[in-house]
Amino acid sequence: MIRQCITPSTLEAVLNILDEEGKDVELIAGGTDLVIDIRNEKFKKSKLLNIAKFKLLKFININEDKTSIGSGTKFTDIVENGEVEKLFLGLWKACKSVGAPQIRNMGTIGGNICNGSPAADSVPPLLALDANLIMISKDKERVIPLREFYLDKGRVDRREDELLYAIKFNTLKRNEGIAFEKLGLRKALAISRISCSIYIQLEKNDYIKNIRIATGALGKYPQREVELECMLKNQEISTGLLNTVSKHMSHIVEQRLKGRSSMHFKRSAISGLFIKTCKDAVEEAKKNV
Amino acid sequence: MKKRGKGIGATFYGTGYGNGFPDVSKAVVEIDKDGKVSIYSCATEVGQGAKTIMMQIAGEVLGLGVNDINFISEDTSLTQDSGTAAASRQTYNTGNAIKLAAESMKNKLLNLAKDYLKLNATLGLEMEDHKIYLKMEPEKCVYFNQLVEKENIKVSESFTAQSTQMDEETGQGSPYWPYTFNCYGVEVEVDTETGIVEVIKGVCAQDVGRAINPELVEGQIDGGFAMGLGYAIMEDLNCVNGKIHNNKFSKYLIPTALDMIDLQKIIVEDPESTAPFGAKGIGEPVMTAVTPAILNAVYDAIGVRFYEIPITPDKVLKAINDSLREGE
Repeated sequence: MIRQCITPSTLEAVLNILDEEGKDVELIAGGTDLVIDIRNEKFKKSKLLNIAKFKLLKFININEDKTSIGSGTKFTDIVENGEVEKLFLGLWKACKSVGAPQIRNMGTIGGNICNGSPAADSVPPLLALDANLIMISKDKERVIPLREFYLDKGRVDRREDELLYAIKFNTLKRNEGIAFEKLGLRKALAISRISCSIYIQLEKNDYIKNIRIATGALGKYPQREVELECMLKNQEISTGLLNTVSKHMSHIVEQRLKGRSSMHFKRSAISGLFIKTCKDAVEEAKKNV
Repeated sequence: MKKRGKGIGATFYGTGYGNGFPDVSKAVVEIDKDGKVSIYSCATEVGQGAKTIMMQIAGEVLGLGVNDINFISEDTSLTQDSGTAAASRQTYNTGNAIKLAAESMKNKLLNLAKDYLKLNATLGLEMEDHKIYLKMEPEKCVYFNQLVEKENIKVSESFTAQSTQMDEETGQGSPYWPYTFNCYGVEVEVDTETGIVEVIKGVCAQDVGRAINPELVEGQIDGGFAMGLGYAIMEDLNCVNGKIHNNKFSKYLIPTALDMIDLQKIIVEDPESTAPFGAKGIGEPVMTAVTPAILNAVYDAIGVRFYEIPITPDKVLKAINDSLREGE
C-alpha cells in the first residue's frame, strides 16, 4: 500500500531520496502504466517519488552530431516536434503510435524505457538508433547502451539510486534513415503484437553500409536482431536478399517463441512487417540527402 | 500483399418481444395550471435518442416544440412501465403509446376549448404553441392554462403490440410485427502478410418506416456499424473451458474512432401503418447485416470463407496459409 507520495522541488532532492531509500520508492512520471498497477493492487512499494513536473527532464536537443531527449519528455512533445519527424521518422512514428492522445499527453519516453515492457513502442527505434542512456545518481553519472539495459521481462538495469536522465544518440546524416512499423489489432489504443524498427546507412544508392534492426514484442524485451544485421551489412539491397532475410527472421521468431500460442501468427506476420520496414528505411535514407 | 474485396449483407428484423408475448407500453400526458405539458413514460434513454423522439412525437400531435415538453422518464416512482429499451421496440411501442396519449389529450383539450369558446363543434380548431384557435376566425382562441381548472388535466394511454405465438410443429404464425429491412455494402482490404482486415468503405440502406429524427437515425447507423465491425474482426472473449480470458477492455478490443469509416447512409422511408407516424425502431437492425457484409467482402478478397467470428489477424493468416497449402 502506498503510504507516501513525495514531490521534491529539485532534482538534487530526488537524487538524495533515491540515494537514501531507493529500494522503497518507485519513481512516477506519466503514470500511464504505474497507476494501473496501483489500481490492480500489483504495486508493492510504499512510497512514490513524483518527477512528473520536472522541466529539467523535458527537452529535445538536436545538434549536428548528437541528439538527446530528456527522460521526462512526453510523447506529445516528441510528436509535435517537426525536427524529430524530419530526421528520425521511425522514432516519430513509434511515439505517435503510443496509445491515444490522452496517453501521449501523460506518458514519457523515459517511463516507456524503464517500465521494461516487451511491447514498448518507442524502444525499438531507440535500439535501432543505438541509443545510450544517461543514468544519474547522487554523485555519479553512468552511461549505458540501451541494448544492455534490458535484463528480463519487466526488469531493467536501473540501480536503486539511479534516475534515467536522458537518451542520447547520433543525429542522422546524409544517407541515413530510420523506419518503424507496428502491428496492432486496431488503429489506436493498440498494444503492439509485433513491432520492427530499422536504421540504415546507404552508400552509392543501394549498398548497405550499416544497418541496425530492432524488434518489439518478440521476446522478453525489445531487442536487436544482430544475426539479420550481419546478413544485410555490406550488401547490395535486392528483393531476393530481403526475402531470404525475412525467411530467416521467421525462423528466428519460431525458435524464440516456441511453445507459445502466438508463435504461428508472429512467425508468419513478421516477414511482411520486416520487409516493409526495410523498404521504408531505405526510402528514408535516400530522402535524408 | 494487400487484396481488396466487396461484399453485401442484408437482413430483416422483427421488432418487439414477439411470439405472442405481451408487449405493452404506457404513457401519461399532463397539463398543469401554467399550461405546461409533461409526459410520463419509461422509455429508457441509452444513447439511442429515445427521449428526443418521444418528445418529437408528442410535440407533433400537440403543436409544440421539444423544448416545450417536460419529459419524465426512467423514474419508476413517477412513470408506468413501458418495457425494456430492447428488441428495437421503443420507437414503435412506446412511441405509439405516447402518440395515443397525446391524441387523447388533444381531443380533451379541443372539447374543453369548444365549451370555453362557446362553439358548436371542435371542427376547424387548431392547436399551436400552447394555444387553441379557430382557423376561420383566429381571434376566437384560448390558451392551455385557461382550460385547466382546479386539477391538472391528465390522460393515460396504453399500447399493446400484436403478435401471435408460432406453431412449433409447422413454424407458422405471426411472431413479430413490424419488420425492418436493411442492407450493407462494404469494401475491405486484407493484408495477406499480416492477416489484418481493414474496412475501407461502406454504405448502409436502412428501412426506418419514417425517420422521425434523421440525424439520430444516422447516428444509430454509425453506432451499429461500429458494433458490427468490432463483432466481425475484433471482439473476442477468448473463452477457454468456460473461462473468459479477455475480461478487460485492454484485451477485449472494440473499434476506436480511428477504426471507423465515413459510412454512407441511405434512409429508406416506407411508413408502417401501425407505427407512430410510420416510424419503426432500428437499434438492432443497423448492426445485424454488418458482419455478413464484411465476411462476404473478405471472401471476395482472398477466397476464404469464415464460419466463425471474430476474424482476428491470426485466424485470417492461418486460413490464408491453409488455403495456399491446399492449393499446392
